[in-house]
Amino acid sequence: MDLLIQFLTNTGYYLGDWRNWTMIVVGCFFVYLAISKEYEPLLLLPIGFGVLVGNVPFFKGFGLGIYENNSVLHYLYFGVVSGVYPSIIFLGLGAMTDFSSLLARPKLMLLGAAAQAGIFFTLISALALGFLPKEAASVAIIGGADGPTSIFLTAKLAPHLIGPVAIAAYSYMALIPIIQPPIMRLLTSREERLIRMSEPREVSRVELMIFPIVGLILCCFLAPASIPLLGTFFFGNILKVSGVVDRLAKTASSAIIDTATIFVGFCVGASTQGDVFITPKSVGIFALGAVAFSIATAAGVLFAKLMNVVLKEKINPLLGAAGVSAVPGSAREVHLMGLREDPANYLLMHAMACNSSGVIGSAIAAGVLWSFNVH
Amino acid sequence: MTGLEAISYYNGWAQAVAGILIVMAGLSGLSFAISQLHRVAALLEGRKKKPAPEETVLVPEAETVSEPPAHDLEKTIGAYEDLVRRLGTPFQLSELYRLCQERGFTHPYMSIKALQEAGVLKPLGDGAFTWQP
Repeated sequence: MDLLIQFLTNTGYYLGDWRNWTMIVVGCFFVYLAISKEYEPLLLLPIGFGVLVGNVPFFKGFGLGIYENNSVLHYLYFGVVSGVYPSIIFLGLGAMTDFSSLLARPKLMLLGAAAQAGIFFTLISALALGFLPKEAASVAIIGGADGPTSIFLTAKLAPHLIGPVAIAAYSYMALIPIIQPPIMRLLTSREERLIRMSEPREVSRVELMIFPIVGLILCCFLAPASIPLLGTFFFGNILKVSGVVDRLAKTASSAIIDTATIFVGFCVGASTQGDVFITPKSVGIFALGAVAFSIATAAGVLFAKLMNVVLKEKINPLLGAAGVSAVPGSAREVHLMGLREDPANYLLMHAMACNSSGVIGSAIAAGVLWSFNVH
Repeated sequence: MTGLEAISYYNGWAQAVAGILIVMAGLSGLSFAISQLHRVAALLEGRKKKPAPEETVLVPEAETVSEPPAHDLEKTIGAYEDLVRRLGTPFQLSELYRLCQERGFTHPYMSIKALQEAGVLKPLGDGAFTWQP
């Protein structure tokens, strides 16, 4: 009888408390969104299931939990806290990104820069709410709407916040179809949404090959702390455009990025153990994340409108919303809103230009924040 | 410590202003650099190519197709059917783009997007497509 009682008191049913069950409900909700609504399933499914795995209560000291030394999950989590997975994801992203529309219209790059204003506004807000500088920087980077960058910076500055920051970043990326359209609609008139973009010029292969080298030199010399992200990003891109290592480019843009995405999603999900995740700080991070994301979207749109004041050839201000680096979710949303107003207005490739600029912008911002808080 | 006091204490204002300026400067610089890339590319390509008598590629009259307006799906299908016939099915979308460029089509992205949305171009995966008018 004692043996049975001892066994029962070691089960998850006995050890679990309301925090575990709350997170299990959250995990189920993510899995539901991924499968049923197809909201960013590549991210939400691994994260959602990771949340379920991470919140199975267990007897501490068995070496089972993600925060316990020598556990399997702990070793997998090393890729997150060391920043290895985000670097690998950026390698794959680079190998997947086609910069031709950005090269054809370089001024769209400024929209990717403007959208990063959300990051720095949130930095101030987080400091005002009582977050320490390193924590504030980690929370602020959510405004870049870039999961791997958020994880990377948080791993370097405030590893104890990786769970809430990553979950907030990926949640808002998944919720782009809900968050961005009202802001875009609010800040633009119908006439502005109807602006058509002219067909971009043809970009030569030589230009495509020079770009990763120029990009690396300009961006990484300016913010060397962004090397782990932008170094691999531009490397992945040159693998793609060089045309001489198709096998490597294909592997980087498929198997390698998929493997890293699986592990980063699963581990981030598993890191949300109820007892360490459900804190007032997490609530603050979620609230600030929403503010950061909304301001980033608004800043991009408003900057596009500002550019239209001085530009001879107007740009559709909806494109500003794609300046956040949520690839390709925000570009798709811009495209869909353009189509809703005018079924023959195809904004996708222009929006992808802003999107890829946003990836570079948020990585530079992460590098800048890291260098500000290195001591 | 919270509020404005915390922002000032941790140098928040300076960090925010400097941060956005650095990002802006970085991407503006990159934007300017890539706006000049076509000149560099032209220079490099000019050096690579030896001056040779210009070859004129003649496209037989029967094969030329005029570019349809992107919003006219019927005309688009008509024009692209001819190109697809030349490629055979299934075909790679990149090959179709190449053919469009050879024909001097100025908005193939829009037309191909419209054909995909109309279900005329069906993806088979790995960049391969089939034609189902």
